[in-house]
Amino acid sequence: MFAAFTFPPIDELFRWKDIAFNDSGYGINKTSLLVFISSALILLIFIGGSRKMKLIPSGVQNVLELTYDFVDRGITRDVIGNDATRYTPFLGSLFLFILFLNFWEIIPGIQFPPTSRFAIPLFLSLMVYVLYWFLGFKHNGIKYLTGHLFPAGVPKALYLLVTPIELVQILVVRPFSLAVRLLANMMAGHILLTALALLTSYTLTNAPIITIGPFLLNIGVTGFELLVGFLQAYIFTLLTAVYIADSLHPEH
Amino acid sequence: MLASVLAVAVKAAEAAGEVKAKNPIVPESKEILWASIAFFIVFGLLAWKAWPAIKKSLQDREDKIRGDLEHAESVRTQADKELADYQRQLADSRNEGGRIIEEARQSADQVRKDLIARAEADAAEIRARAQEDAKLATERAMADVQSRVSDLSIELAERIVRHNLDKATQIQLIENYINEVGGTRR
Amino acid sequence: MHDVLVAAQQAGELKAGLQSIGAGIAYGAAAIGPGIGIGIVVGNAITAMARQPEMAGQVRTTMFLGIAFTEALALFGFVLFFLAKS
Repeated sequence: MFAAFTFPPIDELFRWKDIAFNDSGYGINKTSLLVFISSALILLIFIGGSRKMKLIPSGVQNVLELTYDFVDRGITRDVIGNDATRYTPFLGSLFLFILFLNFWEIIPGIQFPPTSRFAIPLFLSLMVYVLYWFLGFKHNGIKYLTGHLFPAGVPKALYLLVTPIELVQILVVRPFSLAVRLLANMMAGHILLTALALLTSYTLTNAPIITIGPFLLNIGVTGFELLVGFLQAYIFTLLTAVYIADSLHPEH
Repeated sequence: MLASVLAVAVKAAEAAGEVKAKNPIVPESKEILWASIAFFIVFGLLAWKAWPAIKKSLQDREDKIRGDLEHAESVRTQADKELADYQRQLADSRNEGGRIIEEARQSADQVRKDLIARAEADAAEIRARAQEDAKLATERAMADVQSRVSDLSIELAERIVRHNLDKATQIQLIENYINEVGGTRR
Repeated sequence: MHDVLVAAQQAGELKAGLQSIGAGIAYGAAAIGPGIGIGIVVGNAITAMARQPEMAGQVRTTMFLGIAFTEALALFGFVLFFLAKS
């Protein structure tokens, strides 16, 4: 009696056609375009806003200082240590980049988070991976690896068990989980919002009485996704800081 | 027969799988490329222009607030010190005033006592002198009276007994008498 | 010949259906453990914050780290869902 409710193939929600350099192997699609726009926005706000810093802050300057303070005090100093302020530019840029990309998920008319494409979390997590291996060997030499593989205070026999687990942990699980966490959260959020939006429009034509249900749910989930977008950017940056701290002082 | 049907089925299934679009999770290299370029530009420019400026601004404010607080603290300490000084001076001068008044009272007392003592001494001296004078005058008058009495007695006796006695005997007599009288009187 | 084509079509649908069922079971199973784990992490974090409100900031950071590590398992299941389906 009702027209069948069909959900489009998942692929249709995430894969976009090239809009420039079509099919040349480095084409620009909606994902890349959104990356460019958010990068431009970040640069506009942060460089434009920080050109004339006043002693008594106002407007944009408050936002800039709040962001810096959040990353510097809440992440860098809290996790790595008070002498680690030089990592704040990297962590802050990482945080802003992910945050702005995540927020496309709930911007009306766009509603697609580029971070739900594996390319971006994978690239970011590989970059962090390279960075913390580099820092680990630079600050601790080969001890960085051996300290992880043969932790002190463990009975010799247990090394048979601990060493392979640790090896897989630091070689594969860490970067993979870092990337997958961001990807899966944003992907799940996007699918959920799409499903609720389709359900709203479907019930509007077929059963208008219950339309209010999916509609209100959609609004609530949109608010929740705002929180998730912020939280995932925070957690990605926090874990990056944790891995950097582990490279600098592996004994902790 | 059955085997050939199964083979066809499997082939058809594989063909259906191939027709299906690629998995949405598989990363695309072109997106990695553009995202990495964008991220490195963002990171480079922010690290070059934005973060140092924000950090400097926060540092400047912190320095200014710290400086202001330290200045206020030092000013307050100084004010406290000056207040204490002032109060000490006030107490000092109050003590000083009390002491001066006390001294004045004491010296006034002293002066009064001195004056009274001197006045009493003067009075006593005057009285003593007056008594002395009176005594001297009495004695002089007495001696006068004595010599007058003796002269008068002689004259009287002369007149009475002018011829009966020679002069030497008479004087002898009168002298005796006077001595007698004077001896009893003294 | 018609029978053969129907059989082939049915075989393809059977494979896709089994994939979907397997993926669903995999994700459902993967969500059980992390669900319990996150509950334990957050519950204990709230207890800690209630006991020592002055440590709330540090506890919150650590709580998010714990959630992130625990949640990763569920998210692996989520990714496996998509890998298994196609």
